[in-house]
Amino acid sequence: MNACKRYMRLYRVLAAQFFKTVMQSKVDFLMGLFGFFFTQIMGIAFLYLVFDQIPSLQGWTLDQLIFIYGFAQIPRGIDHLLTDNIWLVAWRLVLNGDFDRYMLRPMNIFFQIIAEKLQPDALGELLVGAILVVRSLAKGIVTVDAAHVVLFFVSVMAGALIYTSIKLFFAALAFWLKTSGPFLQVAYQMSDFAKYPTEIYAKGVRFLITWVIPFAFVAYLPASFFLKSGAGAGVIGFEWVIAIVFWCIAYYVFNRGIRVYESAGN
Amino acid sequence: MIEVKNISKDFVSPKKYPGLKGAVKGLFSNEKVVKTAVDDISFSIRKGEIVGYIGSNGAGKSTTIKMMTGILTPTKGTCRVAGINPNQNRKENAKNIGVVFGQRTQLWWDLPLGESFTILKEIYDVPAEDFSARMDFLNDVLELQDFIDRPVRTLSLGQRMRADLGAALLHNPKVLYLDEPTIGLDLVVKDNIRRAIKQINEKYQTTVILTTHDIGDIEELCSRIIIIDEGKLIYDGSLANLKDTYGNKRKISMEIRQPWKLKELHLEETFGVGEDGCSTEFIEETNSFCVTFDKHRIQVPQVLSAVMEVTEVKDVQIQETELAQIVKEIYNHGTAEGR
Amino acid sequence: MGRLLKIYMPFASNELKRQLAYRGAFYLFIITSLFSSFISYYLWMAVYGSSGQGVLGGLTQNEMVVYIFMVYVTSSIVTVSLSTWVSDDVVQGTVAMNLIKPIDYRLSLIAKALGRVSFQFLAPAVFVWIGLEIYKVTVLDMAPVSVMGVVLYLFSSGMSFLLFVLFDFCFGMIAFFTTYIFGLRMVKEALLGFLTGQLIPISFFPEAVQRVFGFLPFSSMIYTPVMIYLGKYTGRTLAFMLLRQGIWVLALYGLGSLIWKMVTKRLVVLGG
Repeated sequence: MNACKRYMRLYRVLAAQFFKTVMQSKVDFLMGLFGFFFTQIMGIAFLYLVFDQIPSLQGWTLDQLIFIYGFAQIPRGIDHLLTDNIWLVAWRLVLNGDFDRYMLRPMNIFFQIIAEKLQPDALGELLVGAILVVRSLAKGIVTVDAAHVVLFFVSVMAGALIYTSIKLFFAALAFWLKTSGPFLQVAYQMSDFAKYPTEIYAKGVRFLITWVIPFAFVAYLPASFFLKSGAGAGVIGFEWVIAIVFWCIAYYVFNRGIRVYESAGN
Repeated sequence: MIEVKNISKDFVSPKKYPGLKGAVKGLFSNEKVVKTAVDDISFSIRKGEIVGYIGSNGAGKSTTIKMMTGILTPTKGTCRVAGINPNQNRKENAKNIGVVFGQRTQLWWDLPLGESFTILKEIYDVPAEDFSARMDFLNDVLELQDFIDRPVRTLSLGQRMRADLGAALLHNPKVLYLDEPTIGLDLVVKDNIRRAIKQINEKYQTTVILTTHDIGDIEELCSRIIIIDEGKLIYDGSLANLKDTYGNKRKISMEIRQPWKLKELHLEETFGVGEDGCSTEFIEETNSFCVTFDKHRIQVPQVLSAVMEVTEVKDVQIQETELAQIVKEIYNHGTAEGR
Repeated sequence: MGRLLKIYMPFASNELKRQLAYRGAFYLFIITSLFSSFISYYLWMAVYGSSGQGVLGGLTQNEMVVYIFMVYVTSSIVTVSLSTWVSDDVVQGTVAMNLIKPIDYRLSLIAKALGRVSFQFLAPAVFVWIGLEIYKVTVLDMAPVSVMGVVLYLFSSGMSFLLFVLFDFCFGMIAFFTTYIFGLRMVKEALLGFLTGQLIPISFFPEAVQRVFGFLPFSSMIYTPVMIYLGKYTGRTLAFMLLRQGIWVLALYGLGSLIWKMVTKRLVVLGG
């Protein structure tokens, strides 16, 4: 309990520091935010153009697809906001030995890594996600009741955890490979597949993004639960099972990696 | 305070082949190269000691330190710091130690130094009263207040080193590891840093282990030194003892005009000493003739006149043996006996 | 011409060598870049399946497959992050160094870009291209591309490459005026995805929008060579498209020179 308080206190101190530095470069911050925001908006514009040609895509309407697209941005944005520093582990902290400093402090290493940086650019994704979800509410295509509202947050948390686990797993490979940035890049990019209903993909691709790198559980599958006449609540439970299993694997590999960490200069 | 028992560390890397063909071959080959960076080293260090840990580049100094701090897991052997195994109990061990790596800062690059200390206070859970008392003391010995408001990236090397030392001491560690703490600093700053280390050691009985290439660091700080070479421990004993045994050498280098006449010179016979009393070396590119000799048995003028009898001398340089040379000598002789 | 090659070829060959040295990482990036092609592919297959029509935006389903993967091939020949190099040079202050040397900064960048795209083309794109042709003939039952088609396509792509690097040079010049180009680059990339026809064929846009695009240089960067490859342009239209590419190359060359002159003047004044 005491330790928990200490971690919370430290996180607050670090976050406050971080916001100070962000505020010192407001223009940079706003440009980054706008960049991410704009990219997402273009993704939506693309959907509009496609749906100009067809009334529905394999039974999905444009509004439904926009909900899936927007919903997917929220767990992605949360993970992006909170754990962006994992990328540095993959790209260079292990390679150049800067990882040493986490090993020298009396705190959980994973905590130290994520506490060191918040990524404000992620607010662009969260903003688009929020707008699109609200839009879907206005269109009346999603179920709104107490259970769904609660499960919405439950699902978003699980989704963010899945993102974090995948990132951590591929970043941890750096302990063996020195740098695992390219691998992480490939894995992370696979999340793009999850923006659309998985039914449109071939069996192999569907299997890959459902069970191997389970981005389908972050976006499309839970999103379909919130849509009217969608899947049952079981999918959210399953999302959590997947999240916990992948987190355990990733965290285990990460800790194994720390034991073989060779630092730099050898 | 520190017990190191038969500790070894191997680094395994895939075998590399030269050339483009080799690069392709390397992709499919499974061969490994094992490099033993630290080879079966044991020593123990008492509370309050300041120990110099010496060796040439790549001798395994940093590797040993990294094993004692918990960064690296030993391949074989164990080590205990204040009764704790750093690998099994990294977090507990981290509370007991402070570390400064001269080449790399532990501070937050973009934050003002003062903020870094606030964060460290939380990380090490230092109570508020201890924190202000410690900061006062550190300000005193390291004069941090001059640049406490500046972001770390704007500090000069000397300031940064003082800041890093302060950061490593904030939680009053039982053991302080310093890896090249004075590298690249000017004399005044070096002096400050050394004085600060001494004061901290006296006031808090902090055990200090430092690696260095700087003889000054050793002479002013260390009562005991440990020397390793190619991963093996080759000397563990007092500095005085080491100097007595090996530090009585003196070296003269002379730029000469007629190197071919050196054949006529037989210094060992002239002075009636054996090879360990006097040795010579000729460097052709610069025409320099170097004589290394025992300063208790032979005097400088004797050497000079003996050489000048056979050849004309353009320039003379006289060097006291430096610790680096002593160390080199020990390498050549293999293991040295410590007392 | 020979002298020019002698001076600027090393920039190209150095870049090619550098890329070869990092080929492991590079191949993974290739896989990533193919992802979006495959996502497009599956999406469009579903779209054609749902539409009940054989032709959308002037393209049959099979032509769409060719379109998607030729966009991939074309972007590897055409696009290169030249503006990033410029902004890096500005940040590190090496631009000023380049002013001293008796070489043209822009030409040296273009040579480097050429090295990069030849690697991108040789390593993955050409295989994707060959794979596509085999797929076309065996599975899609389409006629293979004619020799003339390949020649015209490569010629047009070459123009596209020049067009792109000359444009990106101008864009990179922004780095002289703001330190923060990252957000702008994201906006540029998102916009280019649309304007060049990379994301979706330009024929899918409403008539009015298409007309506006006709006055911009971007559709000439990817859409034009791919449509030429598909054989959609013949006779006078084809000549017009190639001519338009040529005019844009000249226009952007002039614009770049103008901006460069302005910027270097500023650089001299500021003593950067």
